[in-house]
Amino acid sequence: MDPQRLKDNFAQVAQQGDAVALFFYSDLFVRNPHLRDMFPIGMSGQRDKLLRALGHIVARVDDLPTLVPFIQQLGRDHRKFGIVAEHYPQVGASLIATLQYYSGSDWTDELAEDWNAAYSLVAKVMMEAADEDALSSPAWWNGEVLAVERRRFDIAVLRILPDRPLPYLPGQSVALEVPARLRHWRYYSMANAPRQDNSLDFHVRLVDGGPVSSVLVCQMQVGDRVRMGAPIGTLTLDESSTRDVLLVAGSTGLAPLKAMLEQITRRPQPPRVHMFFGARTRDALYDLEELSKLANEFPWLRVVPAVSDESEGHGFSPFLQSGDGVEHGTLPDVVARHGPWNDHDAYVCGPPEMVDHTVERLTTGLGVGRERIRQETFVDTQR
Amino acid sequence: MNSPNLPVVSAETRLSPGELHSVVFQRAALGRRGYDEDQVRHFLQYVERELVQIFNEKAALAEEVSRLRTKVADPAGGLPATDAHFAAVRILSQAQQTADLYVADAERYTRELGHEARMHREAILTDAKNRAERLMEEAHRKAAAIADSAVRQAEEAKAAAVARVGETAVTPHVQGHGQGEVLPEDERRQMEREIAYLRTYSDVYRTHLRSYLEALLRNVNEWENSEQASLRNAPQPPAPGLP
Repeated sequence: MDPQRLKDNFAQVAQQGDAVALFFYSDLFVRNPHLRDMFPIGMSGQRDKLLRALGHIVARVDDLPTLVPFIQQLGRDHRKFGIVAEHYPQVGASLIATLQYYSGSDWTDELAEDWNAAYSLVAKVMMEAADEDALSSPAWWNGEVLAVERRRFDIAVLRILPDRPLPYLPGQSVALEVPARLRHWRYYSMANAPRQDNSLDFHVRLVDGGPVSSVLVCQMQVGDRVRMGAPIGTLTLDESSTRDVLLVAGSTGLAPLKAMLEQITRRPQPPRVHMFFGARTRDALYDLEELSKLANEFPWLRVVPAVSDESEGHGFSPFLQSGDGVEHGTLPDVVARHGPWNDHDAYVCGPPEMVDHTVERLTTGLGVGRERIRQETFVDTQR
Repeated sequence: MNSPNLPVVSAETRLSPGELHSVVFQRAALGRRGYDEDQVRHFLQYVERELVQIFNEKAALAEEVSRLRTKVADPAGGLPATDAHFAAVRILSQAQQTADLYVADAERYTRELGHEARMHREAILTDAKNRAERLMEEAHRKAAAIADSAVRQAEEAKAAAVARVGETAVTPHVQGHGQGEVLPEDERRQMEREIAYLRTYSDVYRTHLRSYLEALLRNVNEWENSEQASLRNAPQPPAPGLP
């Protein structure tokens, strides 16, 4: 196998962009019509993912130590889609046919051999990782909705019971699929530390135009079914650290941090914890009541709510205002006001802009080194 | 990081309609600096449609080229098996692109609808807050005026009483406590004023609040009715079962 020949050929083919993936899937479905049902109706997102994954693999084809873990994770991820060993040769045949079609007269027997060898290797690593994963965990978990709480017109808290224990670390997330939007998987963080009864909480915010979040927020009812993939994610508590903890949550970015906070409450000697919970407006602080309860219960915990888009007061004269301690300003500003944060581990989760700005402020002047910060953003993964 | 989440496109690959569709620009900071959101959105839609068009035309051209090529290579004509396969692939591709376009349109429609509803909600809330503020101000103004007049009346009544007392005789009781009475008298007046203020304030506020809440309730009822009506008109498709 000649890595450079593969890269050059892929670069040439990839110039055709979306058309390549379109041809690939059409070829796959014409040859194997039964595979069409494994994909959503709209395929544009799927095609982008395919091209990105292929590009990623081809670019690292001569760097196996980096490539193999990526392919292994790909293999494990595909279990929940119902992909099994017999599908791999079918995908391989259509991939080679696509590459041949777009290479035109540049296609040679050597290239065909190179691609066959490369694909066989990728398929082998994916299948082996999937098989190994199958020894310890199911391809997916079925879940039943135990409770739905609409906290605001666009925010819901769901409690879901998986059909068997779903072991995870607080801060991790799972891909969710609802029957009303089959084949659309979206990642959501568990908002609680593992419980005896295995139930899981999810905080969902409706994203305008998001096909899955709208169903989760507006249509879910007790007794509804969902499917969940294996837990993933590296935003987890550094259990080896004895430092004090700073948690900064924007909107439903609260979910993983609340799970970690619950984990801390179970420690025999909890560190001091500051939790900042921010939103644009007061009514979007959807979980403040529960956080305040926790803060009253545990002397080592301080909860600081913050709103960025509302002026002081809310239209009523001063004597009607409750002293609820809500601070005004963006999260980075409010966090800075309470700093510096030397000797703290910081965990930050929320919208990308909020996370970026908070991390920047923490590392420049607030005394937290980048290596002491763990962060996660939600982008289009939760639509 | 201040750039929008522009798709990661390496030098060799092309921007796809799907990638363009998922671009999210970050919100301009308070004070509304930056581009007009609607204009940006419309432009993105325009570019996305153009891209789809270009890809379609390109696919059609490539198809035409390969058809001509086969013809040149095989002048005898006929439709070999590979041609039939490519034709099927092409038909399926076109169907898929049509489906993608419909899905994207539907998503865009709900996104814009949701966005508008959100703006609407914010406008209603702001309006309600302003109203509440005006109510409170009005209640305060009226209550203050009435309290003032109550104090004035009390003072007049007291002056009249003092005049009456002066006409008759100075009692030992008044003599004995004359010095100490100044403060309680002030306090009493202050409290009278405050009671009158609070009574009026709460009266005015209650009246306004009641009529406002009734109006809100009517709104909610209308909303509920129209939602039920629309749900009846558009029944949900049965949800397919999980595998």
